[in-house]
Amino acid sequence: MPIDSYRYLDFASRQVMKAWAAREKPGTIPFTPLPKPLRECTVALLSSAGVALRSDRPFDQEGERRNPWWGDPTFREIPLGTTEAEIKIYHLHISPRFGEADLDVVLPMRRLSELAAEGFVGRAARTHYSTMGYILDARELIEKTAPAIAERMRAEGVDAAALVPV
Amino acid sequence: MGLVQRVLEASGFPTVTLSWIPDLTRAVGVPRLAGIGYPDGRTLGRVGDADGQRAVLRATLELLESASGPGTYVELPFEWPETRAEALKATRDHPPPPIAQLLMKKPWLLPAFYRGEIPAGEGDGRGI
Repeated sequence: MPIDSYRYLDFASRQVMKAWAAREKPGTIPFTPLPKPLRECTVALLSSAGVALRSDRPFDQEGERRNPWWGDPTFREIPLGTTEAEIKIYHLHISPRFGEADLDVVLPMRRLSELAAEGFVGRAARTHYSTMGYILDARELIEKTAPAIAERMRAEGVDAAALVPV
Repeated sequence: MGLVQRVLEASGFPTVTLSWIPDLTRAVGVPRLAGIGYPDGRTLGRVGDADGQRAVLRATLELLESASGPGTYVELPFEWPETRAEALKATRDHPPPPIAQLLMKKPWLLPAFYRGEIPAGEGDGRGI
C-alpha cells in the first residue's frame, strides 16, 4: 500500500501541507552522481529537528513567538559522539520529547557510526548539522544557510549527505 | 529541507532525504528521496529501537548508490508498530505552534498561509 504522507497530521495541518505540495514548481532537479562506492564515502547527516548543543546558541523561539510567520533559518553544528545530555531540541511544531530521549530518531549519528563499523559506508563525518524546519520565507535558508553547510562539509572531506526532515 | 537538499546537490554533494511526508518533499523536486510511513518527530523509528533505526538508515543510504538519475523515489517497506491513535496520543501534550494559535484568532489569514505567503502587516519576514 502506498505511503499516506498525511496519516499522522490533524485536519488543519493536512490541508496546509497538501496546499504547499500543490504550489511547488520544482523545475530542473540537480543531480550529483556518487563519486565512489558508498563503502568508501564519508557521510554527513542533516536534521531539521532544531537540535543545538546546550553550550551553543538556541534556535530563536522567542522570535517565532513574537512573529509566528517567521522561523529561525540558521543552522547548528553537532559533533559526532554528541549525547542526549548535551543537546536540546528547539522546534515549536514537533514534540521534542522523542529526539531528546534518543537523538538517533532525528539525527542518527550512532546508527551511522555502526554502519561505518560494518563497512556499509566509509566513515561518519566529524560534524553533523541541524536546522529548524518551520521556515515560510526560505530565502536566507537557501542563500546563506545551505551554502554555509556545504562549505563546512567540503572542508571536512564529506562525500555525501543524508537529510532527515522531522 | 528539500530546498536545502537541492542546494547541497547542486554544490557537488550526492544527497538523499528520508521523509515522513514524501508527498511534500517530492513536490519540491529532490534528487533522491526515501519515503517512510512514520509519524513526525521520530523519522528514524521508535525511541531505543537501534536495530529498526539502523535498518531505516541503511535503506535510505542505499539510495545514494542505487539512484540512477534525479527524482528517484523509493517507498521504504517499514511500518509503524502503533495504531494512528496511539501515535497521535504520544504528542497530545505538545502545545499548538504560534502560527496555529494566531490563525485561530485570525482565521481570515488562513488562505495566505495556505499559499505560503506572509500577509502585509503580519511581520516583515524576520524575527525582531
